[in-house]
Amino acid sequence: MNAGSARPLDPALGKAAAPPVIEIDGVSVRFDSAQGPVDALSDINLGIAAGSFTSIIGRSGCGKSTLLRAITGLIRPTSGSVQVQGQSSADYQRTRRFGFVFQGDSLFPWKTAAGNVEMPMEVVQGMPRAARRKRAEELLRLVRLDGFEDHYPAQLSGGMRQRVSIARALSYEPEILMMDEPFGALDEFTRREMHDEVIRIWRSRPLTVLFVTHSLSEALYLSDRIVVMAPRPGRVKAVIEVETPRPLDPSARTSAAYLRQMTELEALLDA
Amino acid sequence: MRDGASPLARAAGAAPALALFLAVALAWEFGVRLFDVPAFLLPPPTAILAEMAGSSELLLRNLGATMLAAVLGFLIGTGFAVLLAIVFLYSRAAERALFPWAITIKTIPVIAIAPLLTIWLGYGLAPKVAIAAIICFFPTLVNAVKGLRTVDAQALEFMQVLGASRAQTFRHARLYAALPYVFAAAKISSSMAVIGAIVAEFTGANTGIGTLIVTAGYQMDATMLFAAIITSSLATIALFYLVTLAEKACLFWPEARIDV
Ligand SMILES: Nc1ncnc2c1ncn2[C@@H]1O[C@H](COP(=O)(O)OP(=O)(O)OP(=O)(O)O)[C@@H](O)[C@H]1O
Ligand SMILES: [Mg+2]
Repeated sequence: MNAGSARPLDPALGKAAAPPVIEIDGVSVRFDSAQGPVDALSDINLGIAAGSFTSIIGRSGCGKSTLLRAITGLIRPTSGSVQVQGQSSADYQRTRRFGFVFQGDSLFPWKTAAGNVEMPMEVVQGMPRAARRKRAEELLRLVRLDGFEDHYPAQLSGGMRQRVSIARALSYEPEILMMDEPFGALDEFTRREMHDEVIRIWRSRPLTVLFVTHSLSEALYLSDRIVVMAPRPGRVKAVIEVETPRPLDPSARTSAAYLRQMTELEALLDA
Repeated sequence: MRDGASPLARAAGAAPALALFLAVALAWEFGVRLFDVPAFLLPPPTAILAEMAGSSELLLRNLGATMLAAVLGFLIGTGFAVLLAIVFLYSRAAERALFPWAITIKTIPVIAIAPLLTIWLGYGLAPKVAIAAIICFFPTLVNAVKGLRTVDAQALEFMQVLGASRAQTFRHARLYAALPYVFAAAKISSSMAVIGAIVAEFTGANTGIGTLIVTAGYQMDATMLFAAIITSSLATIALFYLVTLAEKACLFWPEARIDV
């Protein structure tokens, strides 16, 4: 079970053009709860290519959030290892930071939209106030929230708050961005707008994205690869290469190839 | 919703309470006169008002002594409680060692230790401040301990992802999370501090509303008793209002206020 060996469930490993920036090797996470142990992740092996856009889909409770937490070092794997740019997550964290858009709301209610986006720049880079503010305004414009800089989270809609979270995650220029169901609270229209937005942001900078979602069409539209997970124990069921990633064309959602992959994915999820 | 209302609307909102208050005062006034209730039992409101006006200098001087003790005790008790809550946040060992002591202090009836504190600290300001501080201490400690830990788990994870130091996490997150809880406790304990100071004055003090009450009680001077009670109530309301103003200034973000 050494890092280099391609596993049957992971045909894409090593096939990507860029070297893997994240290498997940035999990672298992077990939570001990009062009801007995839960195998949230069981022997996960994955390589994430630098600059790639990878979606993770799977039923609720199959360990998607846990996987992101294990990669960023928020939880320590029970066994196995995670290497980020050839280092442990902890070592990577010493010099670099992961971008993280959490599932649900994690903005500070006592900070305005701009204040929330500024906070990481102060904490991570110690950037002076005026520069922070200027950059926060730029980032909020990037997520189409200009004019809402001084609104508090309670004064924003769910979708707007998620966009603030995205701006906040980008504020400290991460190379790797984790997004945990970032558009869960959005209606279909805004969601599609945000898809093109995310693609634009991803293209504009050297960014590796790990994107958790429940939506097959979202995963197909956005990503190079889709990791399909299955629950109990949380494991990787299949890794799918997307044939036409990021068409940036809504009509692509009805193309033959798109629909075929969609059917393929549904079959995988139901199996 | 209340905060957004115009002053006029707020005055209108207070009208029923005001009307009832006036009705009670009028009934009291005329009831006492109608049934010829002796003043040493129940003086009419006008007599109390006259007493308050006539002895205003005496009342204010004693009120000053009481409120000074109450406010000092309130500040010390609250400040110490918040500091200890912060210590508990970062040291489980300190929490395990000290929390039982805090609970023990809470179970002691203050009236019982007031004479003891007078013996130890003399007849001046010190025992009053001590009692007021002890009364304020516990509710604020419990709330501050809770408030400091109410930061959303994912928000804390985000700080961890950023590699934020404890101090940074405290300054950006925990401090604000705790403020609504601390103020909820402070509003209650501000009035309890005044009660604490007065109780301390019962057992031995040279000045203060408490001594006025004790003296008036010996003399069966109900009018003076009422005057002293009303004066301290008004001051307590003013103190509560000041704390509310401070709360408004500190809890500047929407939906910050909690009701405990
Ligand atoms: N801190 C924890 N303590 C105990 N069990 C946990 C913890 N976090 C997650 N789990 C368990 O691990 C499993 C995977 O949880 P996880 O949050 O990773 O699922 P998910 O795929 O993100 O689900 P969803 O799509 O609903 O967000 C679940 O069974 C959950 O109960
Ligand atoms: Mg999740």
